[in-house]
Amino acid sequence: MSVWSHILREVVFRKLNALFTLLGLAMAVTVVVASQLLAEADERETRRVTRDMGFNLRLIPAKTDLGQFYRDGFSRHAMDASMLDRLATQLTNKVSFNHLVGSLRREYTINGQDILLVGLSETYVAPGQGKKPMGFAIEKGTIHIGSQVALVQEKKKNDTMHVGVRQFAVANDPIETGTPDDITIFVRLEDAQSVLGLAAKINEIEAIDCLCLTADQDPLAILRKEIGGILPEVQVVHQRTLADARAKQRQTREKVNQFVLPSVLVAGAVWVALLAVFNVRDRRQEIGIMRALGKGGEHIAALFLGKAVLLGLVAALIGAALGTWAVLEFGPSLFPVTKKAIQANWPLAAQLIMATPVFAALASFIPAMLAVSHDPAETLRED
Amino acid sequence: MIRCDEVTKIFRKNGSEVTSLDRFTAEVADGEFVAVRGPSGSGKTTLLLTLGGMQRPSDGSVQLAGRDLYALSPAERARLRSSEIGFVFQMFHLVPYLDLLGNVLLACPGKPSAEVRQRAGELMDELGLADRASHLPGELSAGERQRLAVARALLNRPKLILADEPTGNLDPENAAEVIRHLAEFHRGGGTVVLVTHGEAVNAHADRTLSLEQGRLVAN
Repeated sequence: MSVWSHILREVVFRKLNALFTLLGLAMAVTVVVASQLLAEADERETRRVTRDMGFNLRLIPAKTDLGQFYRDGFSRHAMDASMLDRLATQLTNKVSFNHLVGSLRREYTINGQDILLVGLSETYVAPGQGKKPMGFAIEKGTIHIGSQVALVQEKKKNDTMHVGVRQFAVANDPIETGTPDDITIFVRLEDAQSVLGLAAKINEIEAIDCLCLTADQDPLAILRKEIGGILPEVQVVHQRTLADARAKQRQTREKVNQFVLPSVLVAGAVWVALLAVFNVRDRRQEIGIMRALGKGGEHIAALFLGKAVLLGLVAALIGAALGTWAVLEFGPSLFPVTKKAIQANWPLAAQLIMATPVFAALASFIPAMLAVSHDPAETLRED
Repeated sequence: MIRCDEVTKIFRKNGSEVTSLDRFTAEVADGEFVAVRGPSGSGKTTLLLTLGGMQRPSDGSVQLAGRDLYALSPAERARLRSSEIGFVFQMFHLVPYLDLLGNVLLACPGKPSAEVRQRAGELMDELGLADRASHLPGELSAGERQRLAVARALLNRPKLILADEPTGNLDPENAAEVIRHLAEFHRGGGTVVLVTHGEAVNAHADRTLSLEQGRLVAN
């Protein structure tokens, strides 16, 4: 009789032991698969949400007086738009900033209403990241207006409106945001440059920092060193509140993941090992008679380790399927913003299907060695 | 066949020592049927396990077919047990999840050949178990279980059968049946060492070894 046939018959005979081992391992695999898929979903969601929180890095002309900048919300100095291109060419996955948008901001008066005119460039992202542009894209010949502008100028979506001498179509449904955006008109960068008479000029480059440092660390020093090396003509303003919120969100998730995986592995290993110990105790007489019949230690070990491998394989298949199903089923309600991106991770499932039998065998190793080293005479004399 | 020289086995537990075999010296010739008697705790089972290479003595030597049993490596002893010794125990020691045929074939080293399977079938037939080959041991009576253990012990055509009170759990009828099969093995030239309290073996044993407190008191 082959070892596998022997193992299968024992599994069928001692159903509860096998069932509990299978359940423990399948649950562990389910948690690992689900936590990994949820972590990936959370990562996407965090990235999207923090992106939607806005830029946290503002690069303004070096000569800018910060008092004026904070008071007015923009720099009264301008810099060449080519600086944006210079910075954009340095965008790689290795730098600490991403999502560059050049802007030109000035106060402006339309029909007696003081507003903020903001021209926005396209968004530059690091190559290969495939990230969508920040904020909104402004179509040619259109503008986006704030709620207060819409109210005073009596404009709504699809109405036309003059900014300077040019006429634009209103592209958005203005909603009140409670921010300076309510008194802002967003236009394409070249339109703002034209209206303000500042051709090829910008007064700010906005970005998101890619550092996830804690509040007690100093990302600004890193950013200033890195950006200053490329654009010495700018000063870097870092909005720590936004950056810290983003960093904390990521770090919290990472900490949870760091806790979940080891906990599941330890609990799973202990569970499998305990059940294997009970199995060895149940089979002491069987081990004794096999020894008496001349079966070697390797045969005894194969029976116990083989059982662990077999159950590990079945559990991995069940757990991978269950974990994937659970995340596909319930993930969209947890991560509504990026729900379409939630999908099965087949490479992870394949890795677990290979790793779980090994894990189960390792967890059963000590009990198997107990079985091998068990003195058969001790049980055989118990008659 | 078997030669024991001054075999002593001392168990140490919780700081105290119990001498289970005390300078036991005896020989068993090829083809002999030897009964071993003695009160409980006299060392009968220890002697049997020691003769079977299952329990290393504290002192003395055991020779089986001219080889010093405990000078062999554990793997060599395991091979020797598999090829030359058959065990029968009072509690049968069957594997509960293997059917009758599986239990008999368990004695086969490696994958059983067609010839071995045929022999297993013949043995089960001889022992009146053929029609229950696919049953589990739990579905058998005590007598059937012990006959199954005898079939397993005989599968590899051993030269020696070591039986530890094989009739201890059987009614007289089944006990006589089991002894009859062991006696048949003996008549075929096999050697039997049988630990017993019963009388059923008297008619078949060539001689009796009596043990008391681990010492051979009568031969």
